[in-house]
Amino acid sequence: MNEGILIGINTAFSGYNILMVMAGCFAGTIIGMLPGLGPMSAIALMIPITYGFDPASAMILMAGVYYGAIFGGSTSSILINAPGVAGTVSSSFDGYPMSQNGQAGKALAIAAYASFSGGTIAAIFLLIAAPQLAKVSLSFQSADYFALMCVGLLSIAAFASKGQFLKAMIMTALGLALATVGQDALSDITRFAFGNINLMDGISFVLLVMATFAMSEAFMIIFKKMDISFKASDVSKANLGSIKLSKAEVKEMAPVIGRSSVLGFLVGVLPGAGATIASFLAWGFERSIASAKDKLKFGKGSIKGLTAPETANNAACTGSFVPLLTLGIPGSGTTAVMLGALLSFGVQPGPRLYIEQPELFWAVIVSMYIGNVVLLFLNLPLIPYIARILAIPKNILVPLVLFFSVTGVYLISFNAFDIYFMAIVAFLSLVLRVLNYPMPPLILGFILGGMLEKNLRRAILINDGSFSFMWERPISLALFVVMIIIVLLQIYQGIQKNKAK
Amino acid sequence: MNINYSRLSALIFLLFFIVYSYLASEIRVFAFDENADFNARTFPTFISYLGIFVSFLTLVLSKNEHEKLGHYEWLKVIVLFVLVFTYGIIIKSIGFFLSTNLFLMVAYYYLGVRSPKVIILSSIPVVAGLQFLLHELLDVYIRDPFLQAIGVIS
Repeated sequence: MNEGILIGINTAFSGYNILMVMAGCFAGTIIGMLPGLGPMSAIALMIPITYGFDPASAMILMAGVYYGAIFGGSTSSILINAPGVAGTVSSSFDGYPMSQNGQAGKALAIAAYASFSGGTIAAIFLLIAAPQLAKVSLSFQSADYFALMCVGLLSIAAFASKGQFLKAMIMTALGLALATVGQDALSDITRFAFGNINLMDGISFVLLVMATFAMSEAFMIIFKKMDISFKASDVSKANLGSIKLSKAEVKEMAPVIGRSSVLGFLVGVLPGAGATIASFLAWGFERSIASAKDKLKFGKGSIKGLTAPETANNAACTGSFVPLLTLGIPGSGTTAVMLGALLSFGVQPGPRLYIEQPELFWAVIVSMYIGNVVLLFLNLPLIPYIARILAIPKNILVPLVLFFSVTGVYLISFNAFDIYFMAIVAFLSLVLRVLNYPMPPLILGFILGGMLEKNLRRAILINDGSFSFMWERPISLALFVVMIIIVLLQIYQGIQKNKAK
Repeated sequence: MNINYSRLSALIFLLFFIVYSYLASEIRVFAFDENADFNARTFPTFISYLGIFVSFLTLVLSKNEHEKLGHYEWLKVIVLFVLVFTYGIIIKSIGFFLSTNLFLMVAYYYLGVRSPKVIILSSIPVVAGLQFLLHELLDVYIRDPFLQAIGVIS
């Protein structure tokens, strides 16, 4: 393991990869800051750029983009009360009031220090937890993997659905159905291609991600008449105020950072949960344990109220890498996109990754430390300048996002069919989003579809056509019990909601 | 039972998964695989069951509320959609540089940008910069008849 860490440090600290982390954090901050464009869109836009890179550099760049996007989302939450990312909505509860009280600089500094601390502490947890989990998961068999993927699909449908669990499940089924287009991995039989040569290889993962996120986000900005531009003077250096924190403020932050890092990391590890739930939970938790006097400050510019979600969302981002790197199963929509990117590089994440490709496994973990340092020392002083991106009018921004999305897909295949198909998918996903159908379950279903089929096939063949593996293997049984609990919880919540109405 | 958008969409999904189920049953498998425990039809069949089940539940359990979709900019999105489509049609014939610039300029103009300076500065340098990055730094070759004709690329 020590040798692996050294290889990882060596890889991550190469001049090229440090440049990748910096570029990723910078690009992520800019994209994450723009209301409407989240980390998934940011990473999706990066995929075509990384095609010529080696997998380690590509993953390092994408991890930097992920962090940067969360940090950028906090900036727009604090400065203009328009979160660029769902994971930073709760940062606006206390960040924006601070900004209105003339403490925008201080709020941004708190967000940066909290993100840095949360990310760094969680990266240490990851360093310890990932190899242990990878060792445990070596005992996993196909049936267990199948059960684990089902838990992942169910929980992302439960968490990402915002109360629309059935609609999220429809999207999961649709994602799985789209994954069956093209050749069957084992028999090479072509399915659902309708004689169209462009569909015989299946639907491109980059195309689907770009269309459902980047492109449909751009359509959505126009569609909902979202006013996303702000005057450059609103985010000027003079309006931000000091970014220095007093000793008392740091003392107030320290215990919150400790608690929220642990909470954020644990929530991040859970499949489907991610930064949004972690940040809301951390804010709620800090509020519930605060003294009666402190409780009144929450929502009005509380330092604790800003520190908690900022720490937790970054810790959750790091935590979501645990199932991705050790089990090969993404814990969130964003890591699902990363999994798709890794698969397209020919890298199969899973328990053997840290043995077979230690440079990739450890370099990504080590680069997270570098990413946190970059965000703190490079992005924080540059915020007044980077925030000027918010002054770009939407009628310039939208065509540019459409252009980067289309070009990204076209450059992979040089096939005009992909552009038509992408436009249709983007339009349909816009309609589905208006009707409250969440997109992350579709992407996760699409990405896990192939693996799910492979593992189910193997499990059934090993068991002579029987489904007995569901209750005969303890790991599978435990996971299926978890699935039943998730479904029962959703039914219970639905009944409670109806009663309340 | 009122028909609202949730129900209508659930009904469309129900029909989609029924058709998907039929198509799954029509997948041709090898003769020796026909009665196998798991063949190319099995997984799509399971997905269709899941899809039919959840879309049927959504159809039945959706509330009888009247849903308003609000005032959205349908026309603008459709025009942008057509623009992207047209971009796909012309990109092969007139090349990446010219088609992308045209796409960006028309989109900017359509969305209300009127300053020629802004339109030109937000399109030509962006496209030229990206093309330079692709050609010179990332070694990605994009066939471009226009740039070839004026001698910029070989």
